[in-house]
Amino acid sequence: MKKHVLAASLLLSAATSFGAGYQLNLQGLRQVAMGGTGTAWPWDASTIFYNPGGLARLKGIQAYASVMNIMPATAYGNQEHSGNTGSSELSKTRTFTPFNVYIGGPVQQDSRFALGLGVYSAAGLGLSWNDDWIGKYMVQSIDLQTISFQPTLSYRVGDFLSIGAGFVYTAGTFDLRKALPVHGPLGPFQGNTWDEGVAHLHGNANGVGFNAGIQMKFSEHFQVGATYRSQVNMDIGSGSAEFGVPLSLRSSFQNTTFESALPIPQVATLGIGVRPGERLTLTVDVSYIGWNSYDSLRIDFAKTSKTVQNIREPRKYKNTVTPRIGANYKVSKVVSLMAGGAYDPTPVTDGFVSPELPDADRINLSCGIAIKPLPGFTILAALEGTSSVKRQSTYDYGNFNGVYQTQAVTMGIGLYYNF
Amino acid sequence: MRKIYIIGALACLFTACKPNVAVNTTLTQGEADFTNYLAIGNSLTAGYADGSLTSSGQLNSYPQRLFEQFQLVTNVKGTFVQPLLPGNYGYPWPKKVLTVTYNPCTGDTSLGAVDYPGALDSQNSHHYFSTVNNNQINNIGVPYIRAVDYLVDNYAINTAANGIPYALRFYNNPAGTPLDELAYRVHNLHPTFFTMWLGSNDVLGYALAGGQGDGTGAALPLSPNFYNANDISPYLVFDTAYDKAVNMAISTGAKGALINIPDITSLPFFTTIPINGLMITRQSQADSLQALWGPVTAKAVFQVGANNFMVTDHNGRVRQSVPGEYLMLTLPSDFICRGWGITVPIPKEYVITTEEMQNINNAIISYNNFIQYEAKIHNLAYVDIHSFLGSVATGYTYNGIKYSTQYISGGSFSLDGLHPSPRGYALIANEILKSINTKYKSNMPMLEVNKYHGIDFQ
Repeated sequence: MKKHVLAASLLLSAATSFGAGYQLNLQGLRQVAMGGTGTAWPWDASTIFYNPGGLARLKGIQAYASVMNIMPATAYGNQEHSGNTGSSELSKTRTFTPFNVYIGGPVQQDSRFALGLGVYSAAGLGLSWNDDWIGKYMVQSIDLQTISFQPTLSYRVGDFLSIGAGFVYTAGTFDLRKALPVHGPLGPFQGNTWDEGVAHLHGNANGVGFNAGIQMKFSEHFQVGATYRSQVNMDIGSGSAEFGVPLSLRSSFQNTTFESALPIPQVATLGIGVRPGERLTLTVDVSYIGWNSYDSLRIDFAKTSKTVQNIREPRKYKNTVTPRIGANYKVSKVVSLMAGGAYDPTPVTDGFVSPELPDADRINLSCGIAIKPLPGFTILAALEGTSSVKRQSTYDYGNFNGVYQTQAVTMGIGLYYNF
Repeated sequence: MRKIYIIGALACLFTACKPNVAVNTTLTQGEADFTNYLAIGNSLTAGYADGSLTSSGQLNSYPQRLFEQFQLVTNVKGTFVQPLLPGNYGYPWPKKVLTVTYNPCTGDTSLGAVDYPGALDSQNSHHYFSTVNNNQINNIGVPYIRAVDYLVDNYAINTAANGIPYALRFYNNPAGTPLDELAYRVHNLHPTFFTMWLGSNDVLGYALAGGQGDGTGAALPLSPNFYNANDISPYLVFDTAYDKAVNMAISTGAKGALINIPDITSLPFFTTIPINGLMITRQSQADSLQALWGPVTAKAVFQVGANNFMVTDHNGRVRQSVPGEYLMLTLPSDFICRGWGITVPIPKEYVITTEEMQNINNAIISYNNFIQYEAKIHNLAYVDIHSFLGSVATGYTYNGIKYSTQYISGGSFSLDGLHPSPRGYALIANEILKSINTKYKSNMPMLEVNKYHGIDFQ
């Protein structure tokens, strides 16, 4: 038994889940522990997210809850200025705690119909730099936090095929703060005293979409899943835009409202699961992520002026393909161990690496454990490490360049109960 | 046992989870030696800004910025002494500050530059003596000085008598020529490196005076070696004086950088008030102006919309201005209410005509060609600030700030519209550093320009 645990921890020592872009891949603990795979194999009620088609495969109604703790950190370095102002700058330490709740399963014992509801975070972003950092005129802090609600219907066509779909409603908040290049006494603005202008944009966002999937059980040893999650356009209808500027400029920077939209991209995934023997399950997922819908960061102010103009910053994200692999090893009737990894390529192309999302290709390594102390009751724990490659790149729009690296550790704990 | 391993893995991750992109580059002075740095030039070198010279302006001069970077790579740390003023409100006249003013002409309350209204802190400004190493001064930039002035005796005394006290403040021998002063500083400091930014005033005086004098670059001296400051310096005299100054600067074996002369259309002073700012909203206004000026000048045309102002040109002729002509920032703010440019022609001292513009551009080309030639024959770095400010004029984004040469909002020029802001001087210092890095194979980091102030608002 000791041997197995060692194998898992070795995997981890190499790395560090924020997914590439601002997509999150943290909707189920066993799946996180298995590299983010979960399309082929309906392990538990979190299949509502991973493959709604698998929900009708559950043995009965299941309640599932998990919570995670992420501590991401991004470092920035600038070769041009090194030796002059300190060559590396670390983002502020922040902690995020996304959670997932699922309830669902076949409506009755042996029913072909299953109903469920999932509550999860599909996208998120949070990065804060020191207020006086070198990129402050582009971003001091940015936050995008979302929560999705997905009522789901699944139907088991037969032993071979099961299908399902859910309606997705996503709500969230968006918050952006940056410095404005106007020096002068500001007095207190939002609780702080500044000697330089500051802009603060804040708003609520929401959007709708759907999540559909099919799950095919060729045998006890071989299963396949395919899913499609539509794009969810997060519309900010009427956010508040507040400007803190010196007194003499107040009339040029009047507080106003703004309108914007940010897409959570569409994702198509094909997954395969193989169980060669009693104990071991191997899974592979390949996702195609439609990032190219994020063409520009667009912010339209209700009231524009010579000094406050609509924002159009090019993003030009490109579509990506993410492969994931995972393994689940049933050590005993009580304990299972999981491990996995993923290569998560960035949608951000050279020349567009902006400091509010200085993204780069990532490697995720993960492991976890599932313990079943009582019949019908399971406790899950997962650990994932993410590290991006060091990326030397430019943000041409702001003529800003440097080297970035992002790392994050995600810990999660959860449980589910079969009624 | 299982738990211990997992906790162990966790702890390892926590300590390891600090991404680090520390960039290690080897900073080096290369073939240059920055131990003793001498800055030669005019107001741009002195740190003049907001229409006057102040202590804070001097501390934001590009030579000061360069010295800070030189310090990062120089093995033997030198000192850098500027003839600092005691005060911050301007000497001998007040600097400009931004304030919200009511304009009775337009009825608007708007942000504008006015002379600092309080008492000046200019006591003891008239004389500066350095106590470092027997009167060491590293920045001998003198506002208003031209290259051709380098050959003029009694320069400090005569300029002070005309109300410009900057040379007299610190010149070792006020009765000598600026070239003598340079010789003294070179002898005293033994510079290992120098920068020289001279020549702007050889053409700017003509431009600021609205193009007085001949303008062809062939003017004759008013007195021995002294040429009309409101005319374009004679090309040949410019070349001679510039060459003597360079030869003096390198006489102790110094390496250095020569900085060329910017285009005047890169300066907000000349581009802020549009030549076609005569706005007509009704046809009846156009008709009455047509009736007024038609008999005077057949070419005058007025229509609803933007029209070129009426001006007096350098020949004293009243006519309508044409595209490519420029008005100066010193035009009274109520000039439109006075009817200037509309019913009264704008006086010629505020106007740069196309012919004057041609003279100015010819002179800048001639001077810059010579500066480039000097850099080449003496194997010095050549800094093309003319091109750089041209690129700023069309919009230059740097670390998220969009700089331009727009007056006030562009961020790169100070309130006088002629001299850079602290950020503008830092942008210029970076261009100089790039040229030096290339020429002398040194590796000095760039300045973080946005760290310095742009325009200070109230």
